[in-house]
Amino acid sequence: MKTLQITGVAAVLAAGLAIGVAQAAEVNTIAVLTPEEGTDFGWNQQGVEAAKAAGKATGVEVLVAQGLGYGDVRPTLRELAEEGADLMFAHASGYNTAAPEIAKELNVPVAIVDTPTALTKGLIADYTLSGHDGAYLAGRMAAKLSRSGTVGIVVSGEPPSWNSQSAGFAEGVKAENPDVKVIYAVIGPAAYSDAAGGKRVTESVIAAGADIIFGQGNGSSFGMLQAVETTPAPDGGKVLFIDVIGDKSSLDKGHLLSSVIWDITPVYTAMINDLKADTFGTKSYAIGLKDDSVKLLKTPQVPDEVWTEIMGLRDQIIDGTIVVEPVFEATEVRARMSDVKE
Amino acid sequence: MDALFTQMFLGALFFGAITAAVPLLLAGLGEQMSEKAGVLNIGIEGMMIAGAYFGFLTAYQAESIWLGFIGGAAAGLAVALVMALLCVRLGLNQIVIGIGLTLGLEGLTALLHHIQFSRTYPRLPAPQILEIPLLADIPVIGPALFKHHPMVYLSVALVFVMIFLYRRTQFGLNLQAAGDKPAALDVAGVDVATTRTVAVLATGALAGIGGAYLANVGAGLFVPFITNGAGFLGIVLAMLARGRPMWVLFGALLFGVSLALTTALQVAGINIPTDVIQMIPFLAVIVMLVVFGRRSSLPAALGIPYQRGER
Repeated sequence: MKTLQITGVAAVLAAGLAIGVAQAAEVNTIAVLTPEEGTDFGWNQQGVEAAKAAGKATGVEVLVAQGLGYGDVRPTLRELAEEGADLMFAHASGYNTAAPEIAKELNVPVAIVDTPTALTKGLIADYTLSGHDGAYLAGRMAAKLSRSGTVGIVVSGEPPSWNSQSAGFAEGVKAENPDVKVIYAVIGPAAYSDAAGGKRVTESVIAAGADIIFGQGNGSSFGMLQAVETTPAPDGGKVLFIDVIGDKSSLDKGHLLSSVIWDITPVYTAMINDLKADTFGTKSYAIGLKDDSVKLLKTPQVPDEVWTEIMGLRDQIIDGTIVVEPVFEATEVRARMSDVKE
Repeated sequence: MDALFTQMFLGALFFGAITAAVPLLLAGLGEQMSEKAGVLNIGIEGMMIAGAYFGFLTAYQAESIWLGFIGGAAAGLAVALVMALLCVRLGLNQIVIGIGLTLGLEGLTALLHHIQFSRTYPRLPAPQILEIPLLADIPVIGPALFKHHPMVYLSVALVFVMIFLYRRTQFGLNLQAAGDKPAALDVAGVDVATTRTVAVLATGALAGIGGAYLANVGAGLFVPFITNGAGFLGIVLAMLARGRPMWVLFGALLFGVSLALTTALQVAGINIPTDVIQMIPFLAVIVMLVVFGRRSSLPAALGIPYQRGER
């Protein structure tokens, strides 16, 4: 009888373990939700393309829900869960309240951004990414190439990812030439699609003396680009633009200097694998120069000798000679900008 | 600090302020007409984004910003026709229909943009600027006020047209009656539904032009959700101005100037949280219009569908 009981308990434990392993390993479908269409040459496009690439790499089906706006995405999250999504990437800081709620309600894992404190094993992961080391290199490049000695940063909001890149850019400018002035302007609290605001603020920053603009904003970045293309610098010369995340080379009219390009495929792939390995929601993720998940875009506007120098600096960041710490708090970012009284 | 606040910088700031104010002015004037007639036009954001998309499409295809304004007006008018049919003729809930139209048109224009422009993101050339002789040469104020696209001057002139319309014409009186005592207007032999329909259609056309201005002059391109709540700000301006077109103009200008101020404070490196700085436009408009506009009132029948014979 005792042998029978032990055997029974062992069988139950084995079955439970087997079910547990099966649950952890079962990722057949993932979904990505983006506020704007995945064709913005930036944040949204990177999210959609990375999800597709990660899905292909791990052999899972990918559901894409794009252009959802910045409102309530709970109905979409529920629909995607009903369609069988085993993991949902809520690819907007505006979704980081709704997505965890739905994750808990339906017991479907979600990945959110800009909320590292929300980690919950097996259920909620965060990917607050930062291309700050790439932005640092962009700052070094801008300081080398500015004619006026003034460069501008225009952002569509102050989420942590934008903040760390703004700080990295300013740090790079000051490291290259402390005399170069950095002007910082935010279009609005969440002006990600405010192209008119992007153009208006960028024109003002150019009028204040900037001849290179480091712009961060989804749809609004096209307004920044338009301002750069249609507004001459105070010296009458060309204003150049440094973009982030995507590659707008195909749209360029000769004003695109560079871009801090992201590839978040490794992050999404790691998350899928972590879910399979039952380690989802237990760690943070990063992108960086070393594996080219962050890299600078070379355009015809960058002189070869400057590019060579920048690539040398890149190597120094990778080998640890130069250390660029991410700064996520907006107040700390503003403190790093030039005081106009300087 | 003096080195920063050059004539060029101040000129750019105030130029931006006027450019930002014009879509709000057009939307606010349009909304005001609807509200005067008793229709709370929550769908104005949808009319604006339709005007922005079709205005940009027309301007880009025809290579004419003026044709773009016509395209924008037509699009706003078409949306307003739906609003008029559902809310004025069928008496459906104005808030529900307005929200539905806005959400639907945000989605539709995003979809159309995705199909047509999402791989190319075309941009228009810099808009034509009309300089008012002599006045445009005044330092700072000249470039800020007298070097703009002609639509800016037409929009300001429209304020005076509206004042004349409301104070001096029979149609203006009819609008007022349709919003305050529609039954009395009906008894006087004027069709309330027709009066309200005309008001809603005019609102749509104005909002459409405002959207087209935003896309073609303000941004030089179209992106999904580009109106970014400008239509709702137009509603706020109209509600707070309470029937007075001049107060819509003041409110829109104040909003634009406050936006410019937020940029100036940031560029000057004023070390206070950006969120606080960016509250300035909203606070300024609310304070000004609440303080100075409180003696007037909203139409008594605002938002209430009119059915002949109903009590």
